[in-house]
Amino acid sequence: MNWPQLLVTVVTLGGIFGVVTLALNLQYARGGMINFGIVAYFAIGAYVYAIVTQRGPIGLDQYRFGFDWPWWSGLILAGIAALLFAALTGWPTLRLRGEYLALTTFAFAEVLHSLLLNERRIGNGTVGLANVDRPFSDWGPIEEKYVFAAAAALLLVLTLLAFRRLLSSPYGRALDAIRDDETAALAVGKAAERLRREVFLISAIPVGVAGAVYAMYTTLAQPSLFTAEITFFVWIALVLGGERSLYGVVLGTLGLVLFEEVVRAWPFETVRSAQIAASAEHVLTGLVFIAVLRYQPFQRTVSRLRVAP
Amino acid sequence: MLLLQFFVTGVVTGCFLILATIGFSLTRRVEGFLNIAHAELLGVSAFTTWWLNAELGVHVIVAAVVAIAFTALVGLLIARVIYDPIRARGPAVLLITSTGVAFVLGGVIDGLIGTGIRTLQIGLAHRYEVFGIRITSHQLLMVVLAAATSVSLAVFLNRTRTGLAIRAMSANPSLAASRGVNLSATSRATWLLSSSLAGIAGVMLAVVATLTTDLAFAQILQILAVAILAGLGSLYAVIVSGLLVGIAMDVSAFWIPAGYRPLVAFAVVIVVLVFRPAGLAGTRAA
Repeated sequence: MNWPQLLVTVVTLGGIFGVVTLALNLQYARGGMINFGIVAYFAIGAYVYAIVTQRGPIGLDQYRFGFDWPWWSGLILAGIAALLFAALTGWPTLRLRGEYLALTTFAFAEVLHSLLLNERRIGNGTVGLANVDRPFSDWGPIEEKYVFAAAAALLLVLTLLAFRRLLSSPYGRALDAIRDDETAALAVGKAAERLRREVFLISAIPVGVAGAVYAMYTTLAQPSLFTAEITFFVWIALVLGGERSLYGVVLGTLGLVLFEEVVRAWPFETVRSAQIAASAEHVLTGLVFIAVLRYQPFQRTVSRLRVAP
Repeated sequence: MLLLQFFVTGVVTGCFLILATIGFSLTRRVEGFLNIAHAELLGVSAFTTWWLNAELGVHVIVAAVVAIAFTALVGLLIARVIYDPIRARGPAVLLITSTGVAFVLGGVIDGLIGTGIRTLQIGLAHRYEVFGIRITSHQLLMVVLAAATSVSLAVFLNRTRTGLAIRAMSANPSLAASRGVNLSATSRATWLLSSSLAGIAGVMLAVVATLTTDLAFAQILQILAVAILAGLGSLYAVIVSGLLVGIAMDVSAFWIPAGYRPLVAFAVVIVVLVFRPAGLAGTRAA
């Protein structure tokens, strides 16, 4: 097994998905919102980045728009697009709570998936957008994959710092108050509804940016990359890490990515055994998930060590 | 005329959705949470039927009965081992756990069966034509089975002691317990019932569709759509909303590409949740 390569992959993917898990943590553990459609904001980021940076359609391409703008404008617009999509989806759904919210966000993600799959004018339908612009390909001496890993790690650290700052501010304490006792928070004049909506919007931005980085990394924006499986993956990472701690969430994501990459990097003799391994990976992930939810081992460690916040 | 044909196909789709959703809604009503793994139980049943029928050569009716019984036991086992110990953590944790269960079941099915498409060893469907509207014998069976299942479920819930206990438990567990209802026995009965309903739907899935291992999970989307439209936990509204979603999906194919069927189902759901968050039945079962 090629360990250095594995490490680079884990840092890159762990950084990208870590951002998504952090955003989910903000929504769920702080805002009390169950978002079962987080993949939609991720996909929006990826597609917007691809559309903004690619050249106009040529030959067999069926998409309509390609602006050929520089990569940084794509990143910024990906964040903005995710924010706008969160505003669009948050408006009808955030009145709902608990499982209703979970189902509506899930529904929104499926609608978006179905739209991207069937509407060829956005992103070539099933085929997707290939050859997405990779900004670091001409950085001379340093190999591209290391630059990528560093960029993903940087994005993760920036998101972590921003969220930590936000949560330790009076704003974050207001959020905690609402989560712990909404009636009491309302009584002292905290606008619970508005704060929740703001959290929903704010946390969508880094998810969109992470989606853009993911599109750069895979050089693809394709519907099959953005299925409900990403949502479940991120949820499992969140639960693994213990939902109350930002650092735990990051560790959980890295652990899960490492586990999946080790299984994937294993050399298999036949197609059948590789396929069995893929299903075994699903089964194991599911079992770990169930066990962690039941016994909550990390929750206790975290509260004992007082790893704030 | 073509529109009418789409409408009839939609009714058949709706009947399948009723079969697939009614067990899900029963679980939601009595146990109080959304069991995402319900769709995978359809897969368990469908592939057990397929394995018995196509691999071992058992007659399809025998295979179906065994598969339904097996699915009921699997459902009960999962409930006892996984859901019961964490019941106190509330519906959100149970909902998230059930996605883990769906992962495990899906992985097991995938690992045992492998990729490729499968069909049952049954004859081709007989085709009837009435006033230019085509319907196959398999589709007729679906409609008959959906009607029979709905009626017998209603009779069971209203006329038998166990059915009464299930309804009492769903309305108020502690009151039911104080009036002498055996809660754990009733819960077991509910799981057996809802899982065997999933089993029936799975058998029908195996009859009308070519089986792939990801087919079962794809059903959860439509099941959720129907359950939300009905109002989570209501049973009789499932019949109306199953038909509505089925017809909406198939008739929409008259104007827009058939690839948009799931989109239509969820567009219906979003509209309903915005204007009538408690569903068609209108009772808030939160």
